[in-house]
Amino acid sequence: MIARYVGRRLFQAAFVLWLAVTLAFVAMQLTPGDPAQALLAASGASKAEIAERRAQLGLDDPVLMQYAHYLWSLARADLGQSWLHGRPVGQMILEQLPATAELAVSATLVGTAAGLALGVLGALRHSTWLDTAATAVTVLGLSTPTYWSGLLAILLFSLELEWFPATGQGDLRHLLLPSLVLGFALSGSIARLVRARVLEVMEEPFVQAARARGLPARRVFLVHVLRPALPTALTIVALQFGFLLGGAVITESVFVRQGLGKLAVEAIIWRDLPVVRGVILFGALAYVLVNLAADLAQAWLNPRLREELA
Amino acid sequence: MKRLLPMLMLLSILIAGCCDPLPPATFTSTSRPFPSSDFTPTPIRLVYGLTLAPSGIDPHVNASSELGIPLTSVYDTLVYLNPDTGDFVPGLAEDWDVSEDELVYTFHLREGVTFHDGTPFSAEAVRFNLERITSPDLASQKARFMLGPYERVEVMDEYTVRIHLSEPFAPLLDSLSQVYLGMASPTAVETWGSDYQLHQVGTGPFTFAEYVPQDHLLLRRNPDYAWGPEVYQHETAQVDEIEFRFFVDPATRSPALETGEVDIMGEIPPQDAARLEENDDFRIEAAPIPGVSLMFFLNTTRPPLDDAKVRQALIFATNRQAIVSTIFRDTPPVAYGPLAANTFGYEPEVQDYYAHDPARAASLLDEAGWQDSDGDGVRDKNGEPLVLDMTLMGWGYMPQVGQLLAAQWSTLGIEVNAPSPVSYSEALEIAGEGRHHLIPFNLSGSDPDILRKFFHSQASFNWSKLDDAELDNWLEAAARTSDREGREALYSQIQLRVMNEALVLPIRDYVNLNGVSDRVQGLRFDAQGWFPWLVDVTGAEVQ
Amino acid sequence: MIERPPPLPRPFLRQPATLAALTWLVLAALGAGLAPLLAPNGPLAADTSRSLLPPGPGNPLGTDLLGRSVLTRLLWGGQWTLGMGLLGLVVAVGLGLPAGLAAGYFGGRVESVTMRLVDALLAFPGLLLAMAVVAVLGPGMGSVSIAVGLAATPAYARVARSAALEIRTQPYVEAARALGGSDWHTIVRHILPNAAAPLVAFAATQLGWILLNGAALNFLGLGAPLGTPEWGAMLNEGRGYLRDAPWVSTFPGLALTLTLLAANLLGDSLQRALNTGKNPFQA
Repeated sequence: MIARYVGRRLFQAAFVLWLAVTLAFVAMQLTPGDPAQALLAASGASKAEIAERRAQLGLDDPVLMQYAHYLWSLARADLGQSWLHGRPVGQMILEQLPATAELAVSATLVGTAAGLALGVLGALRHSTWLDTAATAVTVLGLSTPTYWSGLLAILLFSLELEWFPATGQGDLRHLLLPSLVLGFALSGSIARLVRARVLEVMEEPFVQAARARGLPARRVFLVHVLRPALPTALTIVALQFGFLLGGAVITESVFVRQGLGKLAVEAIIWRDLPVVRGVILFGALAYVLVNLAADLAQAWLNPRLREELA
Repeated sequence: MKRLLPMLMLLSILIAGCCDPLPPATFTSTSRPFPSSDFTPTPIRLVYGLTLAPSGIDPHVNASSELGIPLTSVYDTLVYLNPDTGDFVPGLAEDWDVSEDELVYTFHLREGVTFHDGTPFSAEAVRFNLERITSPDLASQKARFMLGPYERVEVMDEYTVRIHLSEPFAPLLDSLSQVYLGMASPTAVETWGSDYQLHQVGTGPFTFAEYVPQDHLLLRRNPDYAWGPEVYQHETAQVDEIEFRFFVDPATRSPALETGEVDIMGEIPPQDAARLEENDDFRIEAAPIPGVSLMFFLNTTRPPLDDAKVRQALIFATNRQAIVSTIFRDTPPVAYGPLAANTFGYEPEVQDYYAHDPARAASLLDEAGWQDSDGDGVRDKNGEPLVLDMTLMGWGYMPQVGQLLAAQWSTLGIEVNAPSPVSYSEALEIAGEGRHHLIPFNLSGSDPDILRKFFHSQASFNWSKLDDAELDNWLEAAARTSDREGREALYSQIQLRVMNEALVLPIRDYVNLNGVSDRVQGLRFDAQGWFPWLVDVTGAEVQ
Repeated sequence: MIERPPPLPRPFLRQPATLAALTWLVLAALGAGLAPLLAPNGPLAADTSRSLLPPGPGNPLGTDLLGRSVLTRLLWGGQWTLGMGLLGLVVAVGLGLPAGLAAGYFGGRVESVTMRLVDALLAFPGLLLAMAVVAVLGPGMGSVSIAVGLAATPAYARVARSAALEIRTQPYVEAARALGGSDWHTIVRHILPNAAAPLVAFAATQLGWILLNGAALNFLGLGAPLGTPEWGAMLNEGRGYLRDAPWVSTFPGLALTLTLLAANLLGDSLQRALNTGKNPFQA
């Protein structure tokens, strides 16, 4: 029954999330440094005031109690307070989210389009020079770090040609270079897997049969080759979403954009651990949800899989 | 599918082509309405680029100098410090007397002053402000400490207020001239409580129109402003609106100015400054900042720096001119002592100390018993190598300076251990516990009493870990004496003592390189060097 | 009745891409290893009179802000970058291999627990996870290496499990167990050698991932001590004067890209040659 499959996936996702959350808690506990001191250091508080704040933050409670308190806060979507700014972490994340989302969406569009194009091109013309060229671009995409391609893009398109602004965000012109750079990196893994999958599908008997029946090549391609390959593409994009969130960190840093990446880097430099924890938990949540959605969508899209589950 | 890639490329080219590469000018066009009897000129706006985005911008609470850049024009202070003469001139206080024992300051306030929200300014308002600043609940990070031995405030009548001190305190007027002790509207403070920093109300030439944290701050001209000090060249503001935006990353500052995104940008990196100077549309206004120069504190309690010879050797071994030329592109002057050269009380004699002399450094180290006995390139003594722990923060070019120092010293057999830069709070912790050998810092301030923060044995920033009773006495005496010559003499002794004992390694005086568009005139900075008097800024219109 | 792993097909080494990749890797390793000979002044020797010189005679790849030769720093930096990559790989394989093999071989509870843990780690975006580990461990090249190694572990465990699963059902393994071989013996003598092919191939690709993200951490300023000529850190140094001296960032970036290219090409070739074109993300 599909309901049972859905139920099982939901449970799995929840479990993974719980594990992730617990890992984050353990990591925080193991980190040296006193949160109360970090909060109050700049205002020159006395030892007594720091001790008082420790008690207030519940840092002297037994570990299990802190854990329970932590889980309860998370359930209420309370990610704690930033040690650096004193503001709720959740709010800070929400503020930075639109900029990162903007970059993620446009980079995904670029990367998926380019990846699909390269992958299909390589598969359809496999073992020709076109395939080699497409593969070369693919491997280049996989191997060029965004922090280098980003700098090169800035050097060429912003500083030399002055076509686009080098830094900042706000409109399409600011979005183009970062999306292209990040999308290029993304396209590599998508292209590779799409090519492999399309090649696989093309070998399938039903495709051969369709061609033997004399159906036009385009129809064969679109309906019989591309459609079955799409779920794979979907899965890959979902899997790469995690890369995207991490990749956005670098791209946001290179192009000096607002976003979760900038938030995370600043938090790590300033040892603002609640924010660090908040960002990676958010990243984990987003990743789990996206993959869950992709899995469910795939089950719905792929009739054979549906039958298998029934 | 195959056509998608070329389509995408075409699309991106179209997008790029359709948009004008130059963003719209920040000024409105010259299309003025046809002159008529009720002629209203089109509003003039400026955009000012700030650097740090401080998390709190209440001047009574927070300490960053960034907040002072806009807020100095939102608030008025009791007195003003004339940067050219060094004299205090009337502000919200028309007149003041100091008692014989220098413990009571009586201020006669100006009448007819109103806050932006209509509340009248009076002695009650002053009392409210001072009590707010000194209340423990506010946890003021700077303003409270600027008041020194403040005891209480007393309202004598509607326009006369008295400040009582428990000891004489020479820097009091200087403190009262700064935005951190600016006068806020009691009504607004009481209405907004802990949200006050988002709705600030003063008496100054600009009103606090809007603030979105980490994003932008908007100031608007105050048309009713009529009580500016004599140091202001205009009676009211010359522009209608100033928007402040944040540019934390140095790489973004020059481009923002060059593309017209901002009209004024502070803290332009040195390598961009030269290029901007060559550009006819911009200029660099360099504002030297008084206070404590960028210098490394040498921990006198931790071997081998407990030996004065070693400390002196370090300073002789340093080629400061090379540092200033290479990393700062010769934009600031080299520092020779703990005070910046444009600070009141600066002792020029420190410039004769410690010229770059590697030979002398080497012989001093030899004398101190540090020699390279095992030929590994690093000096040692009793089996211990000469390794110094350098604690650095990540801003202000400290990493580059640290690297260059390490390179210069390595030719003399001194090894430097410099892990990656740490955060401010971590640095405070390390320095507080004395786990460092070297730690750099700089702090701005117009009164030389700032030295007490660093060189008094009980000071929180005593990073050289001193315990010099004589120096303590001089510092305390200089804070108590109002006699200018007396203070200058004491500070001269203090600076010479600091350099004689080689307590710090001064690198450079801080100079704020402001990039200014040609359309802006009249940018002047106050005696603190950081804070512009925005009332005098004019913006020419776009032709 | 032990089946040997299939021999390496001869055409493997003749492919131009593979050859080029191996050549570069060998060159890079040699350069890094021989740095003390080739650039005896060391990467930290500053000469401010030669600040920001473009590539030319006497300074083949130009100089940086403090007058240090970019080529010298690149050679010495190889020690740091490649060393970090190898250390990270050791961590990833050291943790991921046993975990994955055990999960695939034993199945049941061991597999469930291990793979759920792996899934949980995979839920964190790789770079962010590495950043968080560095935040916990504190800065330093050691932390960075461990952090990227840890971040790479789950993927490696997945591949190991996948390989173990497949091989476990092979007849010769059943036979070995039927003959009374212990689990440990079976894993080491039978599973491991036959799983070597996909594991080695994936390791090559993982090396690329580890290098990429490790250098990324240094680019963000989160690991290397001051002045370390690690290639990612060098990229970051050059950012401040990209317009005036683009060579300071360009060459370390090029070195990194070539190394990553080589690692990826090698991984690809190995996978193809050993017929292990499996998608590691399919269970």
